[in-house]
Amino acid sequence: MPIQYYIGLAATLFCIGITGVLIRRNAIIIFMCIELMLNAVNLLLVAFSKMHYATAFIRNANTTAGSDAQLFVFFIMVVAAAEVSVGLAIIVMMYRNTHSVDVNYLNRLKN
Amino acid sequence: MNAIILSAILGVIMMFSGIWVNNKATLRWIALAGLLVLLISNIAEMYGYRIWNVNVHNMLYFDRFGLLFNSVAIGSTFIFVALSGSDINRVGKYAAEYYTLIFFVLTGITIISVYTSLLMLFLGIEIMSIPLYILTGSDKRNLKSNEASLKYFLMGAFSTGLMLMGITLIYGATGSFSIEVLNNPAIAQGVSFLEITGMLFLLVSMAFKVSAAPFHFWTPDVYDGAPGVFTSFMATVVKAAAFIAFVKLFDARMSYSSAVVDWKMLLCILIIATLLIGNITAVFQQSVKRMLAYSSIAQAGFMLFAVFSMNEMAKEGIIFYAVSYSLATIGVFAVLLKMKDFTFEGYNGLAKSQPVLAFANTVFLLSLAGIPLTAGFFAKYFMLASVIQTGHYLWMVIVAVLFAAVSVYYYFRVIQAMYFKTGEGETENIHPGFKTGLIILTVIIILLGVAPNLIINFLYF
Amino acid sequence: MQLLNILLDASATSNASNYFPIGLQLFFAIGFVVTMMFVTHFLGPKRKTADKLENFASGIETHGDARQPMAIKYFLVAILFVLFDVEVIFFYPYAVNFRSLGWEGFGAVLMFVAFFLAGFIYIIKKGALTWED
Repeated sequence: MPIQYYIGLAATLFCIGITGVLIRRNAIIIFMCIELMLNAVNLLLVAFSKMHYATAFIRNANTTAGSDAQLFVFFIMVVAAAEVSVGLAIIVMMYRNTHSVDVNYLNRLKN
Repeated sequence: MNAIILSAILGVIMMFSGIWVNNKATLRWIALAGLLVLLISNIAEMYGYRIWNVNVHNMLYFDRFGLLFNSVAIGSTFIFVALSGSDINRVGKYAAEYYTLIFFVLTGITIISVYTSLLMLFLGIEIMSIPLYILTGSDKRNLKSNEASLKYFLMGAFSTGLMLMGITLIYGATGSFSIEVLNNPAIAQGVSFLEITGMLFLLVSMAFKVSAAPFHFWTPDVYDGAPGVFTSFMATVVKAAAFIAFVKLFDARMSYSSAVVDWKMLLCILIIATLLIGNITAVFQQSVKRMLAYSSIAQAGFMLFAVFSMNEMAKEGIIFYAVSYSLATIGVFAVLLKMKDFTFEGYNGLAKSQPVLAFANTVFLLSLAGIPLTAGFFAKYFMLASVIQTGHYLWMVIVAVLFAAVSVYYYFRVIQAMYFKTGEGETENIHPGFKTGLIILTVIIILLGVAPNLIINFLYF
Repeated sequence: MQLLNILLDASATSNASNYFPIGLQLFFAIGFVVTMMFVTHFLGPKRKTADKLENFASGIETHGDARQPMAIKYFLVAILFVLFDVEVIFFYPYAVNFRSLGWEGFGAVLMFVAFFLAGFIYIIKKGALTWED
């Protein structure tokens, strides 16, 4: 399949994520949209990895081109997990104090 | 390499010392000792002594520029803990964890100052910011702190998403994560649409991280809501580190791909907007803490000049700016944290009740405003001189000087309140050691204001 | 026979016919579910009583909403599980390459595991996994 399809799919997912972050008011849903953005990136990285591997494979059968992108995906997943744990902890801390996860109530700092 | 591994190990040591040591003052001494070890090991590496010989596969490159900044960051953190350590201990009952997180932030900082691979940039920025989200929310029962940490977290994660998209698109275009490939003019001749889009994503996400306008809106809320000590840390060491990453990322990039996108024009808009919003909004603030948040945006505008001009002078300048801005802001915050009232009125008559604090605070504020004989003057001078060297957009220098004049107004409001208004100037109990620390910091700032080469020479010798 | 050939052909290169088996499987899976739902709907006898519309909870009478606030301990354990679960991902690339990486790679993985264990010991010492107060 041509790479354009993957770019299109990843861009669509990424834009859905950005739109969600910008228009949703529930902190957890915003957070899920951010995760969607990260996963769109993962998908695109793997697609590019295969693309670069395929082009390098024609010249050299023992190439390792593209493997760095797949490693990058592992790192993104691990960092995203760390972010999830910190982020959910922050949201739970918020919920215990305000009994709400609506970001519209976050206006104590606007004086 | 010394600083990266040691700071991670020291973080773990701090973590466990929280289990075995119950005395908060002891924890602070352990942290100070750890920072001193870290600083010495990093300076040793500047002169070629390495504890570990790790094959980093060209993902990190330990040049003088990055190592010198590491020393600056670690040194500033040392001064920060020495001056404000008692305030860290007052935030909550998990003092050991706060120091641990500060060490982990330093791990991130030491990575992003020496990275050559975009993977390391991403990891460093994340290692730096995830502990900061926790530090921002460390005052658990305070709703303002909760709100600040949630905002910081959502904005930080969002900008990380943008950065990753940028990195991915650049990878798709070039097939490499190395910034040396990116900065290679031979490859950059045929820049593709993918790569330009990727660079734009990276520019936006870095602007988020250094809080340049129009991506600054989270900064005042986060800096205001976070516990004061950690605001001090975020606004100084962390912000300077983000700038170092920014400078390294766009090192040679901006000059030749101008055929498609005019990078200089984009940066010019960013700088003018940042200076305008930071300075003008700071004038109208009633709380000194919030004023300092806006002033940090304004100072970011000045630091962006280094990204704009990208020559040798800019590299010297950004290091010197990082030193002078970090030291002065740490000092101002250290005094602010001792005040009972964070508004301008709270400072009324401080010169009568605490003359040493008032004098030191005056020097720090003068340095932030860029008055001669303080370090801040040469910092601003280097930045503007580097722009003049490039020969483009010279009118920006005049605009910058005008905004520096505006900044004098709000910094002098504090000085005026301390010396010329009558009031109680109420403070917490001041330890004599704190005063000594402030005086040493004042001396350093004036010394650097007279002889800036004391720092810059380290780049070459 | 030709269908079987497509299904068995492992060396097929990238073209649309590659996705034929997957499409076939999807078609059968969806078709089976839809048929079963319709068939049970039409064949089964229907006797509606109020008791049958209740949630079935092993014969115990239901009371209250299921969405009650849970103890924070569940959350803590879940979060720690996510963290430690995902870290294992780094063993996959090492497992594939561990011969060629040699002792240097072993040292790196050992360092990773050491930091990992330090975190684990820390959460046990802090009492994050103790269930009774």
